[in-house]
Amino acid sequence: MAAAATKTVMKPEAISNEAFFFPQGLAGFSDAHEFGFIYEGHGDIVCLQSIDSPEAAFLLTPWDEERLGHVPKLPNEQCSCISIDDQSHIMWMVVLNPFADKEWVTANLRAPIALNLEARLGLQCIRADSELEIRYRWMKQPS
Amino acid sequence: MLILRRKIGQVITINDNIRIIIQDVQNEHIVRIGIEAPPDIPVHRMEIYNIIQQENASAGGAGALNWLKGASNDGSSSDENSDET
Repeated sequence: MAAAATKTVMKPEAISNEAFFFPQGLAGFSDAHEFGFIYEGHGDIVCLQSIDSPEAAFLLTPWDEERLGHVPKLPNEQCSCISIDDQSHIMWMVVLNPFADKEWVTANLRAPIALNLEARLGLQCIRADSELEIRYRWMKQPS
Repeated sequence: MLILRRKIGQVITINDNIRIIIQDVQNEHIVRIGIEAPPDIPVHRMEIYNIIQQENASAGGAGALNWLKGASNDGSSSDENSDET
């Protein structure tokens, strides 16, 4: 159920126009709450940029279940933060880091982004499992 | 730093909207606490939060959008470069 729902909403174009509100901000950027998505036509990668603090900008790409397995489970208290009743309605994305490695763009599997597309709400879900990779090799750096 | 002594079941309140409840003490070393806070207040284990904070600082910034624009101009795509692990 969750897999099918996730894959049907994973096109970046679908989220590129309206602002999203992150009630908790993002770790290290807790004052930044309102974000817009910028799509530059590069695969499935979008830029999530704070409207108030443009220096808070992150590259995101949809959670890929074929590579990463099932989408994470969002704790109930965090579901209420983004007004989610049904977890299959969450769009999951991972934060990419193009600066940490010369050869690879890495993905942070320990703190993915959960989006409620309907309510335009978002949350960075920090997961306690220490075995989850913070710098998973996602893709080769563009040449 | 404010230091309080509390027994199991006793509560600490912060503002009108945050409650910290002492649940249990295991082996005299591990304390289980419950935290009730509004949904817009992030509550995390500090050592994990610090790691994510550092990674966000490394991954984020004005350079992220520039990187994306540069990558788009290169004409490559994430699908073409996928790691097949």
